[in-house]
Amino acid sequence: MAITSETLDQLQGEPGWLRERREAAIATFEKLPAPSKTDEEWRRTDVSRLDPNQFSKLEHLDGQKLILAEALPQGVILEPLRIAAEKHRDLIEPRLFSLVHADRDRFTALHAALFTGGTFLYVPDGVVVDQPIIGQHFSHEANTSVLPHTLIVAGRNSRFNYLDEYIAQDDAESGYRTGSTEIFIGEGAQVGYVAVQKWGRNVWHFADQRAELQKDSSLRLFNVTLGGKFSKSRIEASLVGEGSNAELKAIYFASGEQFFDFHTLQDHRVGNTRSDLLFKGALQDVSRTVYAGLIRIEKHAAHSDAYQANRNLVLSDKARATSIPMLEIDNNEVRCTHGATVGPVDPEHLFYLRSRGIPEPTAKRMLIQGFFGDVLDRIPFEHARRLVEAELESRIG
Amino acid sequence: MATAPKIDVGGDYKEKYGFFVPEDYVFKAKRGLNPEIVKEISWMKGEPEWMTKMRLRSLEIFRKKPMPTWGADLSVIDFENIFYYLKASDKQSKSWEELPPDIKATYDRLGVPEAERKFLAGVSAQYESEVVYHSLQEKLSQQGVIFTDTDSALRDHPELFKEYFGTVIPPADNKFSALNTAVWSGGSFIYVPKGVKVDIPLQAYFRINAENMGQFERTLIICDEGSFVHYIEGCTAPIYTTDSLHSAVVEIIVKKNARCRYTTIQNWSTNVFNLVTKRAMAYADATMEWVDGNLGSQITMKYPSVYLMEPGAKGDVLSVAFAGKGQHQDAGGKMIHVAPNTTSTITSKSISKAGGRTSYRGHIKIYPGANNCKSFVKCDALLLDDESRSDTYPYNDVDAENVTLGHEATVSKVSDEQLFYLMSRGIPRAEAETMIVNGFIEPFTKELPLEYAVELNRLIQLEMEGSVG
Repeated sequence: MAITSETLDQLQGEPGWLRERREAAIATFEKLPAPSKTDEEWRRTDVSRLDPNQFSKLEHLDGQKLILAEALPQGVILEPLRIAAEKHRDLIEPRLFSLVHADRDRFTALHAALFTGGTFLYVPDGVVVDQPIIGQHFSHEANTSVLPHTLIVAGRNSRFNYLDEYIAQDDAESGYRTGSTEIFIGEGAQVGYVAVQKWGRNVWHFADQRAELQKDSSLRLFNVTLGGKFSKSRIEASLVGEGSNAELKAIYFASGEQFFDFHTLQDHRVGNTRSDLLFKGALQDVSRTVYAGLIRIEKHAAHSDAYQANRNLVLSDKARATSIPMLEIDNNEVRCTHGATVGPVDPEHLFYLRSRGIPEPTAKRMLIQGFFGDVLDRIPFEHARRLVEAELESRIG
Repeated sequence: MATAPKIDVGGDYKEKYGFFVPEDYVFKAKRGLNPEIVKEISWMKGEPEWMTKMRLRSLEIFRKKPMPTWGADLSVIDFENIFYYLKASDKQSKSWEELPPDIKATYDRLGVPEAERKFLAGVSAQYESEVVYHSLQEKLSQQGVIFTDTDSALRDHPELFKEYFGTVIPPADNKFSALNTAVWSGGSFIYVPKGVKVDIPLQAYFRINAENMGQFERTLIICDEGSFVHYIEGCTAPIYTTDSLHSAVVEIIVKKNARCRYTTIQNWSTNVFNLVTKRAMAYADATMEWVDGNLGSQITMKYPSVYLMEPGAKGDVLSVAFAGKGQHQDAGGKMIHVAPNTTSTITSKSISKAGGRTSYRGHIKIYPGANNCKSFVKCDALLLDDESRSDTYPYNDVDAENVTLGHEATVSKVSDEQLFYLMSRGIPRAEAETMIVNGFIEPFTKELPLEYAVELNRLIQLEMEGSVG
């Protein structure tokens, strides 16, 4: 069944303003052409075999399962996004899809039109939440769309950690999945955000994670991509306030016929800002990954410091990693460095371990663990770190 | 508070190192581009029919191909307002003394005789579209080395010429290679026979001198098995008020075990559009090195490339770009790994000043089956003030097994500590900055023959004058 405005009938009980937004996004979806191979962003990313219309059945309507160790401090709002849209319209309406634009491409339009579930988190000024807040998004059925959207608003000087987990009941399921997040970080706030994507191995996944940082705020974002036969993630930080600091880290582990695509943006709009990006991935079998990242330093963004690195460990002869790190620098009072590497396990390292009597498979595993070690240390909170380490462990096997 | 005077490098170019002499041409084709003009050029040169046909076919291709939409803005080029062929004097001069006085005056300022005296090498100087002065050292001819202008090569070595011409860069490669093939004139032709090592660099000076004069030189270098040659191309041009187009094609074939080095110092005046296609094919265990310096021009788009065709081939690009006021240097390099066990490196150094923009644009392509390749790209950019801009666009496509690929880039300004260190020793700020910039491009400079290194340092000094902060 094709996706039309009738598809929206599956989403009952929402306020009128949200319904209007969704209808506008459906119109955008219908209007936008499919991405073309001549478009640089899609040149290496083939979506010609994806027809979202075949996944018009929506799942996960009630949103996420929220896990909380204890009661939240006074004033914190943590609700399914669709319910919060009615109660906290003033907080949500001006922000929803203002960072992740619905008209960016066909897939963001579709997400904006049909997002199901997702979380709204509001932490008021000065509030500190000690326990990590965890949202889990499940898919239960095959051939459906599961499209969670997370909207996070961090008040001034607030401090908290948030984890989004995307979980498949059945690892072999097929379908259409997204997992987008918008994070508004107020002055002086400190936010830790971790997204762990472990959908089934036959789904199409699209994610836009974008944060906006005000003066003296900081973000520690960590993306983990493990699932899907196709996964395209855009991870972007806009540094709009002086003194803001964004740390964008990711690991990915691709095996079988998986294809992962990452686009990153470190957008330094003002001066005295700092961003630090490190994406590390290992590839097995016939998997393929594409990384394309841009550091942009605007004209007046003096005293900015930006770092960008992408490291790929290619574990099989047939796996392919493409890495395109880009810079656009419009100011000279800056420090900008980037680097990218693609290569197999260092034979000398392997030889060293083998010469100490360690069998090859074990030695390889140790080297892979070592490869991810330094970036795993940057996961902002303990719960997420244990989760990611366990996931990785089971995959390196 | 005293302020240091701002000197507009683009504006007073003429006083610094721009100069021009009155025009005196034997033949000057009409402006514009059509099959008649192309036929006229070919007829004037007395070319064989296949070349006339190739030119006409290329013109068709040029007409059909769209303008590139990436890189620099080329929309301002008016192809109908350019002279496509000029011939400064009828006869090729044999010795320096026989050259027309005004041409000689131009070269004197460039120091060509000095270079000749120093190197006792063949100097092939291009004044306008055709090589007018040409001397070939006795030793070279004895070794069987052919070093001539491309027009003469077509006449004197037709078979060799036809075998290789247009094989590395076919007319349909891109819009500007098609244009060049349609209207090419001049350039150098070098053939180095098997096992011959040319131990002195071969040099040619290129000049543009007439207003709205397009220069479409065509260079073809063939290094036969086990040979070596170092070719040096240096360009300076006088300033003129309307835009000029320079669109050259350089084709190089480096056969088994041979090595070729191609050095360029490009210093077109800041109204020239410099759109050049340079490509080499390197065969088994051959080495190709591009040493490429881009200082002048309004817009440069140039990406010297090496196709690594057989195992053991090695490609190197060492590139320097300097963009001052109103300039955009879109330069870089391409390494196309077709065969396994091939290696390549690209080192790019760029400097932007007074609102200039430098872009590194590179492509590493490793084809399926080209296993065990290694490639490394390093880009360093220096921004001298807060008006200038630097970009890095490296494209990497790896489709083979066991490939090691690395890319590194940094963008920075002149370090305060280095500046402080030098100034604390009594060196004025401007001088200290010049020293730092010269140090930054030193990996490039040290690959140049001495007098080119001196010239480059002098050019950097001229460009740096009046830079504040």
